[in-house]
Amino acid sequence: MSVKRFVIIGNGPAANHAAKALREKSSESRITIFSKDPFRSYSAHLLPDFIAGLIKEEDLYNRSYAHYNEMDMNLRLGQRVVSVDFSKRNVILDHKEVVQFDGLIVATGGKPRIPEQFQLFQDIMLTLKTPLDARMWVEKLRNVESVLIIGGDLTSLSLTKALLKLDKRVKFILNEDSFWPVPLNEEIYRAVTDRLEQRGVEIVHCQRIRRITQLEENLLEVETDREILETGVLGAFFGLVPDVGFLARTGLDIDRGILVDEFLKTRFANVYAAGDCAQVYHPALRDYWVSIGHENATALGRIAALNLAGSHFEVRVEPENILEVGGVKVNTSWWTEF
Amino acid sequence: MPEVDFTVEVCGMAGDGTIAAGGLINEAMSHGGFSVLGFDSYPAEIRGFGRCVTNSRIGSNEIVALGEKTHALISLNDEQSRSRTPSLAEHSLVFFDSNPPAYVPEDSSLLSVLPPGAQVFGIPFGALAVGASGASRGRNLTALGGFAAVTGVDPNLFRKVIRDKFKSKGDRLVDINVKSFDAGYEYALEKFSDRLKKIFSKIETGHDPQKVMLSGNQAIGMAAIDAGLKLYFGYPITPATPIMEYLAKYLPEHGGQVVQMEDEISSIGAVLGSFYAGARSMTATSGPGFALMTELITHGVMAEIPAVILDAQRGGPATGLPTKTEQSDLHAAVFGGPGDSARIVIAPTNVEECYHFVIRSFQLAEKYQTPVIVLTDFFLHNRVENRPLIRATEGQAASWNVFPDEAFKDHYQRYADTPSGISPRALPGMQGFNFIATGLEHTEKGSPDYSPENHTKMSEKRHRKLRYSLKDLEKPAEFFASDHLDVGVIGWGSTFGSVLEAVEKSRKNGFKVGALKVTSIFPYHSETIGAFMAKSKRVLVPELNYEGQLANLIAHLDSKPVERLNFVTGTPIPPSAIQNRIEELLEVEAQ
Repeated sequence: MSVKRFVIIGNGPAANHAAKALREKSSESRITIFSKDPFRSYSAHLLPDFIAGLIKEEDLYNRSYAHYNEMDMNLRLGQRVVSVDFSKRNVILDHKEVVQFDGLIVATGGKPRIPEQFQLFQDIMLTLKTPLDARMWVEKLRNVESVLIIGGDLTSLSLTKALLKLDKRVKFILNEDSFWPVPLNEEIYRAVTDRLEQRGVEIVHCQRIRRITQLEENLLEVETDREILETGVLGAFFGLVPDVGFLARTGLDIDRGILVDEFLKTRFANVYAAGDCAQVYHPALRDYWVSIGHENATALGRIAALNLAGSHFEVRVEPENILEVGGVKVNTSWWTEF
Repeated sequence: MPEVDFTVEVCGMAGDGTIAAGGLINEAMSHGGFSVLGFDSYPAEIRGFGRCVTNSRIGSNEIVALGEKTHALISLNDEQSRSRTPSLAEHSLVFFDSNPPAYVPEDSSLLSVLPPGAQVFGIPFGALAVGASGASRGRNLTALGGFAAVTGVDPNLFRKVIRDKFKSKGDRLVDINVKSFDAGYEYALEKFSDRLKKIFSKIETGHDPQKVMLSGNQAIGMAAIDAGLKLYFGYPITPATPIMEYLAKYLPEHGGQVVQMEDEISSIGAVLGSFYAGARSMTATSGPGFALMTELITHGVMAEIPAVILDAQRGGPATGLPTKTEQSDLHAAVFGGPGDSARIVIAPTNVEECYHFVIRSFQLAEKYQTPVIVLTDFFLHNRVENRPLIRATEGQAASWNVFPDEAFKDHYQRYADTPSGISPRALPGMQGFNFIATGLEHTEKGSPDYSPENHTKMSEKRHRKLRYSLKDLEKPAEFFASDHLDVGVIGWGSTFGSVLEAVEKSRKNGFKVGALKVTSIFPYHSETIGAFMAKSKRVLVPELNYEGQLANLIAHLDSKPVERLNFVTGTPIPPSAIQNRIEELLEVEAQ
């Protein structure tokens, strides 16, 4: 039997755990990991610590280059897959390279979500998903004293802590359109804002933002329905959306993420999806759900790989998982309403 | 000030403008005040395709050897560039065409074989060049633009050298080539704004107008002209041919002529004839051609006719490895040929010495009336360096001919046995003197005489002359001199740069190591070399040959065995290999 060629798109926790499981099950196979980002696998939850200066950038990365050599995996960073041809079983990269595969796992994760009304201002808003974003924050924070955060996802709360450590003045607009783990009801709104205010964050209460104007390189003016604010930098935190746009024309079933069954299989043979980019069918719910968090991603990555290697594991992630968000316990069963 | 020691390679197919791009990098960085050592390699086969690679090591301090690890690879042809990946440094920068004309399968792709830490910079070289100039030919310049933007090279350095390169072809060509460069520069500046490395922009350097960017070939050609060369005779052979090409272009402007002969035998014959008549001439060849010349070289020894022969060594034996470097002609240069035919052999170690040694070779040949062999190699010929070059004045290049005194007119003996062994030489046309050039053993007058007494006497006379020549031959130069050394490394030819770098690094590691540069290969300064060997606990001779040819020559000068480090890889010895061997010897010594 010829050596199998496995391709993994993505380099986050799901992708790396998938790669590891594939290698365990198939020592002879060729495993290629594509990542559009030019950096190694990193611990996203440490990005705020890096911004706060508590750790060095090197500490963000959780796998060495040597690891991939030792595991005989071809890690290809900074190389973007732009399409997949499932009939020819190949992926196409943006530099026109065509790579054949026998098995494919899509684990591209998510990307920052910017609501439609803010997309016009995307270039002047900072997000925080990658080390590159974190570097931009570090660079920007050298020259500004005030930060306005719009949104309210998990990352924004961690970042806020980091900003306070740096003695920055932080204003926060908790937006109901934020990709909050639960619907933003009055109770949660009050609990979170109280906690933020206790820590010195100024909560800006408003219904909507009317205008954002860049006055100078490090000075923005934001007009809400109640007041006009000035800030040095503007952060947009509305959660993540599955990063699957490049697959839209490939014939895969995509709602927001890639639709997979409870075994993480897509409609194409030997093609799986795992992690934040997948919407997994839940037989009990009779609906699809999207996982979040590192633990879920690693579990899904592993299951996808094992199934690609011939196993038949069903995803068993309990929707009652509880997360603690800035000291507030929230239920992640939100995905059923996704 | 942070130090820079950065190696960049350009790799492509013949026709991609690879060598031109590498040359522009060398020129631009040299103009920016950096020390540069560049080396090109290309296929041996004479045809319109094949892999071309340029390697440029760029430093804020003086560079004496090639870089071992590539910090930036500019790929003009991905399939060819795949071969360059083993030498990539960790986190190397890789520039490639992100929009090739056709889809590329994985097994032809450069990116599929890169180490995981490589940082890739995809730039649509061809498309940008078309946009800038209307044609894709400028894609090598677009690539340079991307390289300059990411590494922080002042773009004006490149713009200047591009203008200089194309100015003879008209303003339009200058304009479109600068535009192609700018297109890549602007694209990379914007596209990779968050990944710009600024490696060179942190360095403050100044242009040193005394530094001249020269290849070994150019230095040899310039030296020949500055020495007043009248005639060059040669037959094409890699890697010596560029000397003939250089002289064919420039020698006529200085009143000389280049004659392509039917083979190497006729070339050396013509050189001997010219010198016999009093005109400076030379030939350059490589191992196979040198082998053909040996009989007539010994004719020069016996007849005591000057000759300058440049042997540009390449991989051998036989046709061997035409475009690879080696130092395996030493035995042939020193001993090749019938009889006891001792001759002078000198070996420069860098481009600057190529210039000075060639000028000196004419003078030595004239004074000692014997063939002088300048032993170079492919690496020395094809590498470029930017070092200060002070060109010889007419006086410094003046003839060293030893003419007979008028007083001897009536009893002139062409082969007079003098204390130095040098017999004053009359040239044809000098009235009252006889002119003899005989390959037969002869008396002082030049008459054939095969008697045991005469052959013994004249053999001794010719060898005495050679020994006497030592006073005009450069003594070995000691680096990091010390009374006692744990390891003494003796280097010659193009390998010496690697020796010097290895020794310097070992010394920085705290080891008591020194280097000796031997440029006078034969006759050699046995006392100096012997003293260096005697004061070294271990003696190491790294060479680019299998047999250890210099080591064989000098091993008898000290009782301890000579350690050898021999490479026949066809490429220069990496300094790290020498350093490792030094430190291995030190470990053994410590046990």
